[in-house]
Amino acid sequence: MIVLNYPLILSTVVVPYVAAFVSWVSGNRLSPKAHAALNSASLAYGFAVFLALSCTYGLGQVIRDPEIYFIPTLGRFSFLMDASTFPALLSISLVTAVVSLYSVPYMEHRFEELEKDGIKAPSWGSYFLLYTLFSASMIGCLLGTNTIEFYIFLELTLIPSFLLIAFYGYGDRVRIAIMYLIWTHVGAVLFLLGALSVGFVSGFDFINPSTGEMLLGLGDGLPASTLYVAMWLMIVGLLVKVAVFGVHMWLPYAHAEAPTPVSALLSPCLIGIGALMLLRIVYVLFPSAIQTASPLLFVWALITMIYGGFMALVQKDFKRLLAYSSISQMGYLLLGLASMNAFGMSGMILHYMAHAFGKAILFMAAGTLIVMLHGLRDITKMGGLSSKLPYTGGLALIGFMHITGIPPTLGLWSEYLIVRGAIEYSMKLSPSYFIPSFIGLVVAIGLSTAYAFLTMKKVFYGRLPEGLKGAVKAKRSLLLPMGLLAAAGILSFILVGPILDPLMEVLKTLYGL
Amino acid sequence: MEPLPSQLYVFAWLSPFIGSALNLALNPVKGRAKAYSSVAFISASAILSSLLALDVWLNGRVVSFEYVWVKCLNVSFGFYGDALSSLMAVVVSWLSLLIAIYSIKYMEGDPGQTRYWTFFTFFVGSMLLLVLADNLVAMFVGWEGTGLASYALIGHWYTDEEDKWVGDPGRKALGIPMYFTPSHGGLRALVFTRIGDVGFLVGIAVIHMLLGTTSLVALESKAGVLMLSLFRSGILLPFLIVFSLGAMAKSAQFPFHEWLVTAMTGPTSVSALIHAATMVKAGVYFMLRMAPIIFLGAEVLRATNPAVFSLVAEYFEIVALIGGLTAFILGTMAIVARELKLILAYSTASQLGYMFLAVGAGALTGEVGLSVFVGFSHLMSHAIFKAALFLVAGAVIHSVHSRFIDDMGGLGKPMKISFASMLLAALSLSGLPPFMGFWTKDAIIDVAFEAHAYLPFVLGVVTVLITAFYSLRMVFRVFLFKPSHHEHEVHEAHPLMWVPYFTLAVACLALGLAWPFYEADLSRGLTTLTLGLKEWVMPTPNYTLVGTSVALVAFGIGIAYYLYQAKKVLPFDSVKTSPTLMKLHTFLYDRWFINSIYYLVIVKGGHLIASAISKYFDKLIVDNLYHRAIPFVFGKAADLLFRYPERAIDLFYHRVMVAFFSILSNGFRRIQTGILNHYMLLMLIGFATIYVVLMLLG
Repeated sequence: MIVLNYPLILSTVVVPYVAAFVSWVSGNRLSPKAHAALNSASLAYGFAVFLALSCTYGLGQVIRDPEIYFIPTLGRFSFLMDASTFPALLSISLVTAVVSLYSVPYMEHRFEELEKDGIKAPSWGSYFLLYTLFSASMIGCLLGTNTIEFYIFLELTLIPSFLLIAFYGYGDRVRIAIMYLIWTHVGAVLFLLGALSVGFVSGFDFINPSTGEMLLGLGDGLPASTLYVAMWLMIVGLLVKVAVFGVHMWLPYAHAEAPTPVSALLSPCLIGIGALMLLRIVYVLFPSAIQTASPLLFVWALITMIYGGFMALVQKDFKRLLAYSSISQMGYLLLGLASMNAFGMSGMILHYMAHAFGKAILFMAAGTLIVMLHGLRDITKMGGLSSKLPYTGGLALIGFMHITGIPPTLGLWSEYLIVRGAIEYSMKLSPSYFIPSFIGLVVAIGLSTAYAFLTMKKVFYGRLPEGLKGAVKAKRSLLLPMGLLAAAGILSFILVGPILDPLMEVLKTLYGL
Repeated sequence: MEPLPSQLYVFAWLSPFIGSALNLALNPVKGRAKAYSSVAFISASAILSSLLALDVWLNGRVVSFEYVWVKCLNVSFGFYGDALSSLMAVVVSWLSLLIAIYSIKYMEGDPGQTRYWTFFTFFVGSMLLLVLADNLVAMFVGWEGTGLASYALIGHWYTDEEDKWVGDPGRKALGIPMYFTPSHGGLRALVFTRIGDVGFLVGIAVIHMLLGTTSLVALESKAGVLMLSLFRSGILLPFLIVFSLGAMAKSAQFPFHEWLVTAMTGPTSVSALIHAATMVKAGVYFMLRMAPIIFLGAEVLRATNPAVFSLVAEYFEIVALIGGLTAFILGTMAIVARELKLILAYSTASQLGYMFLAVGAGALTGEVGLSVFVGFSHLMSHAIFKAALFLVAGAVIHSVHSRFIDDMGGLGKPMKISFASMLLAALSLSGLPPFMGFWTKDAIIDVAFEAHAYLPFVLGVVTVLITAFYSLRMVFRVFLFKPSHHEHEVHEAHPLMWVPYFTLAVACLALGLAWPFYEADLSRGLTTLTLGLKEWVMPTPNYTLVGTSVALVAFGIGIAYYLYQAKKVLPFDSVKTSPTLMKLHTFLYDRWFINSIYYLVIVKGGHLIASAISKYFDKLIVDNLYHRAIPFVFGKAADLLFRYPERAIDLFYHRVMVAFFSILSNGFRRIQTGILNHYMLLMLIGFATIYVVLMLLG
């Protein structure tokens, strides 16, 4: 393990927090662009730190801040990074930094709209306070070594994102914001109950910060009767956050009606954290008990993939379609997890990254259409838009390539790894599951391809409707952020080795997969 | 020949990708810059592939090189050059180059230049990566790359103008529209092929799981281990079929052929690229690559595990049958097609069927080398004549502004070179001696017979007649027949266009004439220098079969000549009068209703399922449960709690307690008189009380 001389890792959360409060305090004294620059820079700082640390020390070992904070009865809080959190940290810091730039042209439009409706929403300073609190807290979720530490950061993501929806969202935004708050909070509390039942018996640390080791099997100390209850509370709690089939009820509303920059963070970044934590906390606490849960999770994952795909096929609202697509994509993540092997798990982690880039691009594309076409979200009224907004169309294509696993995007690797893991898992259960799992995969991946490229056709290709003849090319300030993420996705396709090799290694050494 | 440093050959596939990226960067530049740079980068590929092939063939050695790409997955990027892959790379790169040259003129003035050239080069690069890859994952990357590029190029004219459609506007079969826009065509290509690709991907996963590697060389050396573990798991045959699904979908084999037909919505140069050099040949190439390995794996187990061998034989029987069916079914559709490109599209799928038949039947003879030699020969000859045919078609459609052959006719006079080119290529397609197509198709018929694969053999033989008829029907209808009203306004294509196709057409003849001189070398190279093969094999010529097939070809050509040249009649006029014939015509014209059935079952069915789930489950149950029922229950509970305990508590604290305290305070107020003596008395009473209490307790 490498112990840093300065708390660089914690600073990736603190620096954005400070920037957020500076934004808030300065309010209208700063221009929107200055706000965006400040907050984007603070989040990009995190990106730079993660990248620099990985280049300096390599990802073969755990990198930790110097301090370990002892909290009475709760154990030790510390901040660290390893190859299994690196891809997610990189994606969150990059996506949030880029989307905060996108916020300026988008929110300008949104403020105008709200004003037209006679609503005076809290201004730029408040927006960026909430935005950056939300973003940095997501980073914080992944840095901790203690379940309570994680829980605190998780709650810190919830409040600002709730307010962002309530203040700047669309439609029945207050009701939807409350719905989002309540349901995901129910999930968080279920998780907390499970965590407490483990914690009071065996402690709350899931990583030993002094050695960097994962405390594998910590939850096994529980009496058999409470062990399974605690584990399932944690699993279901996190799955509500992930919004898999059955507990997805809040997602299509929240992600469709949130202001688009917030959708671009909620959809790929936030919900995926639940899946990552299923590995990082629940798997680590119950490495053997979770094996009994895996067949159910496996089937649940396939159902989620297929269900989300079917639902996406029949949506008329672009953002709601993307929201259902996220549900389907969470099925991919869960499938990787349920495979319980290094291939599936690394596929999950890489797919988190691919989905983060792809879905953020897609939400930004949907937002670009909202800005350029006066709030148009109805797909049935679109068509042929590539002739008017060619770059938006091209970037949306790259976005869809990420989530359907088409090269040259990172999605190809994550899809292969997930399929690789799933096949190994089902064949190990019994070779007779080969055909059923193949059919499940064909239907799921086929549906993803179908809704993705059908949407491309409905939105960007075909005849341009009369009403859209006057459309003009998208502003550069809207396109540039999407372009950056597209480039990141393509670059990480080519340079996947340096990310995946240590990840696979860590899954074997730290997680014992 | 002096070999080049091996690393250099990586650029055979890398160079078009560099060109592709450069085309994006050249976006603001107007004019032919992108076209020229693309041609340059593809030329580099062509030259490097040729040098690689010379190195392999002349020095009789395998050349390979690998860089580690992803260590933990054993994925490298480099190349593996054996006889098969190097020759395939030559075919792909040179045909792509000729088509690129043709495109300079053909696509001139098109507003989507950047898109066209970016994806064109990306297509070529992906195909060459697929061909030269030394492991299955890299092959899959190229494979998916061709899928993406074909999607983009088929849908190139995404604004869906009617003249870019395929099919008769307004026509329906079983209530399903039979006309397709470019954006629809692109979508179909991607979705159809990706369903097969999942099979390929799953296959790779299984191989990696069992062998820990996906390298082709390792696959050869561990073929027996692989087959045995699959057999022991009881999934040998299902695995082989799943693994080949990608190839079947990519090569438009029945029942996955539908996407290829509507891929005609792309620019004709793209059709040429898809049909001749890239994409559809990928599936056949995959079969050629894998057949020897699969066969080898079964053969090493033949003595110990005969069941493995018979399962593998069953697999090859299926392959041969699918090939035969595809050749026949798609051939029949070509007879009645009215669109020039559609005839060629049907013909491609039909010819790909022959190639699958060759692979399957070759292995069934017990000499899998025959699969590779015969399959590849036909792939090569088809690539050349089909490229020529499409490129001519592009020039013709360009000049008459119609895709229907009814609007053509008599174009032989103004377009002499095009006429000559199409005639030569069509004769090769129909299998007339001494064209190259004759030799390669005949070898397939021979092998099918030798393999005792009788059903595929019969289908193959019947298709010979069909092929000869539709090929010449096309030539006569376009260039001779009754002169169309376009005859006078039409003139020969630009040399940048006709030089490529004329070259190809001459090659059909020249390579056919020279066939007897290089056939043996070709076969020796392919069957001894290809992964998984060692023994030199040649098909045994069967002169009865040759005679029959030549007679069938002559007969087919004869009918076409009689109808369209001697009599100059449209058989459709007489078909119309007979209801039975008309039904048959509709059956063929509407592609055996296969498309309609897919749409009725899969597309409409899928949509029905999706809307039903959305309406009755997602909205009715999930939404109502979480957003109505549960809130309702909690609301009611809160209401009840409020009504009963909360009221009582309220009453207790706010009334009873208040009343109690007010009484108490009243009492206290009464004793607070402000007179010191009273207080002293109270204090004494208090102490006395405490004293008494303590005494009692003590």
